[in-house]
Amino acid sequence: MAAPKFAFLLLNLISILPLLVSSFSVDRPTDRRILVLLDDLSLKSSHSLFFSSLKSRGFDLDFKLADDPAIAVKRYGQYMYDGLILLSPSTERFGGSLDVEGVLDFVDSGHDLIVAADANASDLIRNIAAECGVDFDEDPSAVVVDHSSYAVSETEGDHTLIAADDFIQSDVILGNKKIEAPVLFKGIGHSLNPANSMVLKALSASPSSYSTNPSSKLSSQPPSLYGTAISLVSVVQARNAARIMISGSLDMFSNRLFRAGVQKSGSLNKYEKSGNEQFITELSKWIFHERGHLKAVNLRHNKVGESEEPSMYRINDDLEFSVEIFEWSGSSWVPHVSKDVQVQFYMMSPYVLKTLSTNGKGLYHTSFKVPDVYGVFQFKVEYQKLGYTSLSLSKQIPVRPFKHNEYERFITTAFPYYGASFSMGNYVDVSTKYMIELQMAGFFIFSGVYLYNK
Amino acid sequence: MARYLRLLLLAVLVLAASCESAVFSPVSESHRSAALELFSLADGSYGRTALVQYSIACLLCIFPDTDHYSTLLAKTIPLNICGLTLLAISLCCTISSLEETYEALKTFKVLGIEKKHDITTSSCASVAHTLKSTSSASKDYFQALRVNSILKCDLNSEAFRGTESKLKGSLNGANSLIDFYYSIGGLVLLKEQTPEVDVHLGDADRIFRSIKALGQSDGRWRLNSNNPESSNNAAGIALEALAGVISLATPQIDNSLITTLKNDLLKLFDGIERYDDGTYYFDEKHVGALGHQSPISASASVVRGITAVAAVTSENLNLPGDKILGLAKFFLGVGIPGSAQDLYHQIDALSCLENIRQVESTPLILSLPATVISVTKKDQLKVRVSTVLGSPARTLSVRLMQIFVSGSKDASVIDQKLKFNAVSGMHVLETLPKNIDVGSYVFSFEIIFDNPEHKKAYVTGGRTRVLVDITGVIKIGNAEIVILDGDHGSIETQKKLTLPGGNDVALSANHLQKLRLSFDLTTPSGNAFNPHQAFLKLRHESEVDHIFLDFLGLVEKFFYLSGRYDIQLTVGDSDMENSFLQPLGYVELDLPDAPEKAARPPPQPVDPYSRYGPKPEIAHIFRDPEKRPAKELSLVFLGLVLIPFFGFLAGLVQLRANLKNFPKATVPSTFALLFHLGIAAVLALYALFWLKDQSQLCLTHFPCTCILLLTFLFGPIYHTEGTRLIGNVLDVCWAQDTISSCIHFVQVKIYVKGPILILRVSGTGSCLKRAQFAIWFYRVRV
Repeated sequence: MAAPKFAFLLLNLISILPLLVSSFSVDRPTDRRILVLLDDLSLKSSHSLFFSSLKSRGFDLDFKLADDPAIAVKRYGQYMYDGLILLSPSTERFGGSLDVEGVLDFVDSGHDLIVAADANASDLIRNIAAECGVDFDEDPSAVVVDHSSYAVSETEGDHTLIAADDFIQSDVILGNKKIEAPVLFKGIGHSLNPANSMVLKALSASPSSYSTNPSSKLSSQPPSLYGTAISLVSVVQARNAARIMISGSLDMFSNRLFRAGVQKSGSLNKYEKSGNEQFITELSKWIFHERGHLKAVNLRHNKVGESEEPSMYRINDDLEFSVEIFEWSGSSWVPHVSKDVQVQFYMMSPYVLKTLSTNGKGLYHTSFKVPDVYGVFQFKVEYQKLGYTSLSLSKQIPVRPFKHNEYERFITTAFPYYGASFSMGNYVDVSTKYMIELQMAGFFIFSGVYLYNK
Repeated sequence: MARYLRLLLLAVLVLAASCESAVFSPVSESHRSAALELFSLADGSYGRTALVQYSIACLLCIFPDTDHYSTLLAKTIPLNICGLTLLAISLCCTISSLEETYEALKTFKVLGIEKKHDITTSSCASVAHTLKSTSSASKDYFQALRVNSILKCDLNSEAFRGTESKLKGSLNGANSLIDFYYSIGGLVLLKEQTPEVDVHLGDADRIFRSIKALGQSDGRWRLNSNNPESSNNAAGIALEALAGVISLATPQIDNSLITTLKNDLLKLFDGIERYDDGTYYFDEKHVGALGHQSPISASASVVRGITAVAAVTSENLNLPGDKILGLAKFFLGVGIPGSAQDLYHQIDALSCLENIRQVESTPLILSLPATVISVTKKDQLKVRVSTVLGSPARTLSVRLMQIFVSGSKDASVIDQKLKFNAVSGMHVLETLPKNIDVGSYVFSFEIIFDNPEHKKAYVTGGRTRVLVDITGVIKIGNAEIVILDGDHGSIETQKKLTLPGGNDVALSANHLQKLRLSFDLTTPSGNAFNPHQAFLKLRHESEVDHIFLDFLGLVEKFFYLSGRYDIQLTVGDSDMENSFLQPLGYVELDLPDAPEKAARPPPQPVDPYSRYGPKPEIAHIFRDPEKRPAKELSLVFLGLVLIPFFGFLAGLVQLRANLKNFPKATVPSTFALLFHLGIAAVLALYALFWLKDQSQLCLTHFPCTCILLLTFLFGPIYHTEGTRLIGNVLDVCWAQDTISSCIHFVQVKIYVKGPILILRVSGTGSCLKRAQFAIWFYRVRV
């Protein structure tokens, strides 16, 4: 009799599991299920610190060999994963149905991607990167070499282990805590496609770096990539909030470089531990939407002194505008505090563009006068901030001119005209050229006197 | 799984340009800290997995037939199920965690880590529980005894005796390799742990043969007779089991059997895989009952098997020394594994390799703590020779045999003995050979034993090649920058530079001239040095970069951008300690205008920070209010236009105007009064229109207005025949609200010419006209 009971309990446990692994939703933007594609299962062990950091943050990792024929990211039109990590630089073809198109569709549907390449990067990986606006050095033997900011090592003398510390200046991408130690990088460099405005350098090479084959002499042609044009790690945030990280080094995720100490050449500062763990962990938090996700609610506007939202404004009305913006902290929505949220009062082009003031609790507000142009306007909040998902809100509102009886009524300048009309004045109607006699009071008196004078 | 070590291989390839010269370091402190990190303490024993997983696994063990679940769904669960489940969970946990506890303890023991946590009590309790339990499988006994072999728990012989009989029972019923392994392994452990229990196998030959029957001709084994696939992992397990049989056999086992075993061993080594860097490993393609096995676990399993066999036979196994060394290098080359199990396999296998009883096979590892040697700092080349676990080897010396220039075959034969420093335990090359300048070299070392006897005890792998980078400070001299006249080559401007150092030259040139930058680089030993990186960069004000390697003929490719160019010089090499990147100043270039087909400068990437910043604010510029004359002026004109009225009144008074002719009779006076009241009403309506809100007035008084107007119009016409009457109605607005707010009647003129009544309505489409109307009137008057 005990057997059925056990089984029942097991079924209960199984039925609870899907609830624990809740998937991506608007209210909880953080990813949950991640597919990790590896060249080789030994990476699970050699890069375990990276994976265990993801697991400890609640991600559900599914490891597969990159040529596993069972790879599928989509089933019945539904994506089974929220994120994809490609630690398979040398894979020429993915197993299963996944290909470059598949990976790009995955990103196009708002999912996140981490790609790591190295000196053996295959065309497949290069193509995926190129589609994301990142062009790896075409020379397959080239790696990033830097003779001025390499990591001092007693065993590696070819200056291909770079100690990079030119990070992107963004707290939301790399966390509040400053990354003190340089990040160790060993791999290939890439440049950003200038036509792609979405891609950003998260970690840049130093001005003295260049991309070359360290074991052969440079030709007379300058290297295709050199100096700060080389990006070591780049990130992309697409318009649909999908985030992509592309690194030219697979080693930088490895336990060996996570644990390694670092001393940058020419610097006396020795660090016990490289900045890799902090850099990768913080960056992966951003990539998987644990940070930097914004939402705007309660967009409101009203006339000053009123609280109801009107259906229409009149030109020159004074209005108040407010919107609440919250930021995802990984577990809850907290007020977003910033000084650069702006609202536009827009018809074909912005008539008013004003920075909103905030109360520090997520509410942004301002007030302004409606322009003296009538038509159909929009309140527009186009908030794009480095590292944050972009907000694009708009609300339409018509603006009408004065009604005929809303103008000023007794204009002093016109008093001579009125005076003339009511008394005995004359005026010339220019349009008809007739002299018109205005003789209201005078006419009345005159008519009496004329008729009845004796 | 041939790709297993691709990463490792790659790392090694990048680490050292030449595969032959890879350096492997013995087990170090970082392994110890990794071990402490990986085997973290969980609920009193070393466990990696969560409780729930154990319970699921356990329940699956109990109900392997999943079809049952659906039929079981409808059954109700009494409360006492919890107790049963907990028991199951605790059992499962004991089994799983005993294995992990052993792995942790063994790793710690090999690495010499003193146990940080006192787990003896809890582990011994679970060992005792397992041994006493009647339901435990042979695997559980084996794991419990393994843990006990390290912890040396205080167990009574009763438990051991019971265990022995159970293990023997399961050995008799065993038919798969795993069953043999656990039962025999358990008995061997039992024999070691307690002298009171006499463990011996009477039918050792039969057991030996039945295990042997699972073996394949290539030296590998099958897990059971039903499974045709053989694996290296199984071979390791089989070897361990066979070694156990040999040690437990009371009449010594047949020598011919041992000889066949020895042959199997050698055959197994024929199937070993090799990498270019000299590492050997056992690959694992078979995915069987034990799940997916990595080469680490397969190789470790074989190494354990070999060690066990070597320990029980007195014969020389003739193991190939280079392959043993290659295996040791393989385990060291893995570095620090990220999973606890891999670390256990690595450390356990290395300890087996170090302690292998066959004396000729202990591998020695020659390693260099530093392969980057600075001649400027007078660094010494140090070589350490140790066993795989890092313990020093017996008396030996290291000789530097040859030095190759990296990338070429030319070798200089040195044959120099390194001096042994007893304090650091290092062999030191005190001075580098004379002909060694900065650059990359491959040093070839050989280990020489002082005592020829020891040569047999170790495997050294012959000469070890190590890539060594010799670095130094490069002297820079005669640095100058020159502008040359293109036609004659005569020097126009010449500036000396201090390199490295602060320079701030200001040059100017046109497209017909040449710029020459020159400097000499010499190595510490006075030879000319050719750096790998020598870039001259000219950066235009518009941040368009140009980079040149060739210092002559750099007039082109400027995209015809005249102006100021900052000059930057980068000189660097992996062997140059003073690599630098320096601004030199600027050059003012005067270039011709761009021809139409000239290449445009490439687009520059957008600066992310400026792209995302707030935009400048826009405030709407409101239309200026219309200019109006001063209030006073209007009032003055009001006074002026009122003067005729008052003049008229004064004239009337002067003329003694009166109303004496007003009809006296009732009827005429009534009509006259009505007529004049009508006129007054119309005039009052005008005044009301002006004073009050027009729309209201229009709407509420419309009928009344019409009547008044009609009275006004037709009354006088009737009475004053032939007179022209002009009615000029301003701001007639009754239609405005009913039709459109923007259509505006300005004037309604009604006048009579003879018998014809003319009605003329004029209007405009704009409401704003009205205000203009008033002003316009004013202007006309002025």
